[in-house]
Amino acid sequence: MNVVELQDVKKFYMLGQTRVDALRGVSLSIGQGEFLAIAGPSGSGKSTMLNMFGCIDIPSEGTVRIDGTETEHMSDKELTRYRRTKISFIFQSFNLIPVLNVYENIEFPLLLQRTLSRADRHARVMKAIEEVGLQDRLKNKSTELSGGQRQRVAIARALVTKPLIVLADEPTANLDSETGKRIIELMRTINETEKTTFVFSTHDAHIMKEAKRVVRILDGLIIDPDQGKEG
Amino acid sequence: MLTLKLAFRTLMKRKGRMALIGILVAFGTFLIVFGGVFAASAAEASRASIIGNFTGDFIVYSARSKELPSPFAFATPLPNIKNPEELSAVLDAMDGVEAYSFYAQNYGLIQVEREGKKLDLPFIFYAVDPGPYRKVFSNVQVEEGSFFGLPPKNGTEGKELPSPGILISKYQNNQYKENYGVTLKVGEPITLLGITEGGVNTARSSLLGIFEPIRYKSVFNYINFLDSDTYAGLYNFTGVDALPDAFNAGLAAASVDESSLFDLAADEDFGKLDLSTLTSQSLSGFTMVAVKLKDHSRVDEAMALISAQPELGVAVARWDKASGFYAQISLALQAFIFLATGLIFLVVTMIFMNTLIINVVERTAEIGTMRAIGADKSFVRGVFLAETLILNITAAIFAMLVSVVLLALAGKNGVPLPETVSQFLIGGGPLAIRVGILPFIVALVTVVAVSVLATIYPVSVASSITPLKAMNDR
Repeated sequence: MNVVELQDVKKFYMLGQTRVDALRGVSLSIGQGEFLAIAGPSGSGKSTMLNMFGCIDIPSEGTVRIDGTETEHMSDKELTRYRRTKISFIFQSFNLIPVLNVYENIEFPLLLQRTLSRADRHARVMKAIEEVGLQDRLKNKSTELSGGQRQRVAIARALVTKPLIVLADEPTANLDSETGKRIIELMRTINETEKTTFVFSTHDAHIMKEAKRVVRILDGLIIDPDQGKEG
Repeated sequence: MLTLKLAFRTLMKRKGRMALIGILVAFGTFLIVFGGVFAASAAEASRASIIGNFTGDFIVYSARSKELPSPFAFATPLPNIKNPEELSAVLDAMDGVEAYSFYAQNYGLIQVEREGKKLDLPFIFYAVDPGPYRKVFSNVQVEEGSFFGLPPKNGTEGKELPSPGILISKYQNNQYKENYGVTLKVGEPITLLGITEGGVNTARSSLLGIFEPIRYKSVFNYINFLDSDTYAGLYNFTGVDALPDAFNAGLAAASVDESSLFDLAADEDFGKLDLSTLTSQSLSGFTMVAVKLKDHSRVDEAMALISAQPELGVAVARWDKASGFYAQISLALQAFIFLATGLIFLVVTMIFMNTLIINVVERTAEIGTMRAIGADKSFVRGVFLAETLILNITAAIFAMLVSVVLLALAGKNGVPLPETVSQFLIGGGPLAIRVGILPFIVALVTVVAVSVLATIYPVSVASSITPLKAMNDR
């Protein structure tokens, strides 16, 4: 079963009197456990596509299905609930909550879910922290961490809710190449061990190589939907 | 809990800017508490002063009067009260009445002789029944002589009858000296001149005392006292107890038409009144009765009891209606304090709202991230509201504690006021501070209300931030 499915999705914005077509009819299916890169130059529409996957933007035309459910007619509350339970994000600028420490940042989405006991939350948080190797940084604030460490915290935060899909918008863009490579390797390891679906956007050829499947996009259109597709 | 943690930590992170807001809120709270306590203390002191100096708890006056009683109605005295004995009987029968005093306001002249020349000195006075007057009012401190020959107030009051005569204020005596070169001395015989519709009447009297007003010097410096018996004689408030029935019947018949009046005049028997059979009666000339109650809170009830007896021919005016503009001064002060405080809080609200909006703009990515991770709009609203309430309530409580300390210090000796303000507001002297809980409750409620109001717009901006903003944050 597909985790996410886009069917002829179009997205346009009005910039004054000018219509900007960010997506011009995109269809794509992402299955469970994929490790997929969306590649393309700046302005090609890859971030817009990720936003559609993540229910944080709605298409002008076309259909988005998450876990088999169309999101088109969902209310803001329902979309928020979807994001809280099924989707996680890793941001280019890490986007940690600055007033919370490492542990609290990772615990934050679980607190929003309000489904786990304190002990269960702690176990989940500690497991996620171990996966990203930041056990010795639990009490540190994000300002006390390096870029790579911050992104590890962001990965742990994304994983802690055991989401259906993790969306990463150019997760290595603010990191040096070595650190970026290690972050992608970490994501891939988790993908392999936990079978978590990862979709990330990039225009870095070295990072693209790590993906099991690469979807190339240009001027709002997918030009090569199945490159490297497994199976 | 998460909301509070985020709110508290955000406040700590932005403590410089938040401290500024906190100071503004604390200042506003301080103004509300201090202003409220000041206004309440002033209102209470003003009420007590007016009741104790001018009006008692309420004034009874003639129902024929078109004007309300006032401490300053010397030029236009109210109509006389027709049936003082009946009114006295009613007041005596009322349980709640502690004391009452008939009195009147008028003016005349004091005539004295110096070096063979007669000098007429202006004389504005309250005509009072000294004993009852002193039971209702405590407005003068006798410096020389006595209050109409009565022993000191806390002495053996009621055991001696008052003496007829006048009391003048020390200030008045100085004015006489300054303007006429005359200084009156206690015990000095004087002649009083009363101006009536029929001409000028005179009465022999003497100066019984010189006093200093305790409060409202700006009024009582110019007011003097005359005993009611002398007053009644001086102003022709004298009549006969009753005319013969035949005489009254004749008068009634003659009032039908002109010819019957001439017939009455032609009747020789009618005009032959035996004066020896008539009993002379001194009419009071009183225009007002100040009533002092045992329990001030029952003033409306007591007034209603009197109003319910129209046969008395009197009306009633509560202390605040009968005090001229004095009660209005206190009300105006309260209104001013509330208006000023309101304006200050409006400014604080605007500044606070502005700061919150800046906060929201600066935290767009953070809010967008929370929304992307799965925080509802209500969560975002909660965080901002919690920040506001934590900050403002903390500032308010701090300001209240400071206020309590300062009010306790001020309460020891009262708050000194500029003399002019003090005279008009409370009759003079420092303002005794009465700390009640109400201004504190008002302050807290205001701070919470302002916090919520100031948060509405910034929070609506914050909660409208989409998760897209987090994605777009580079």
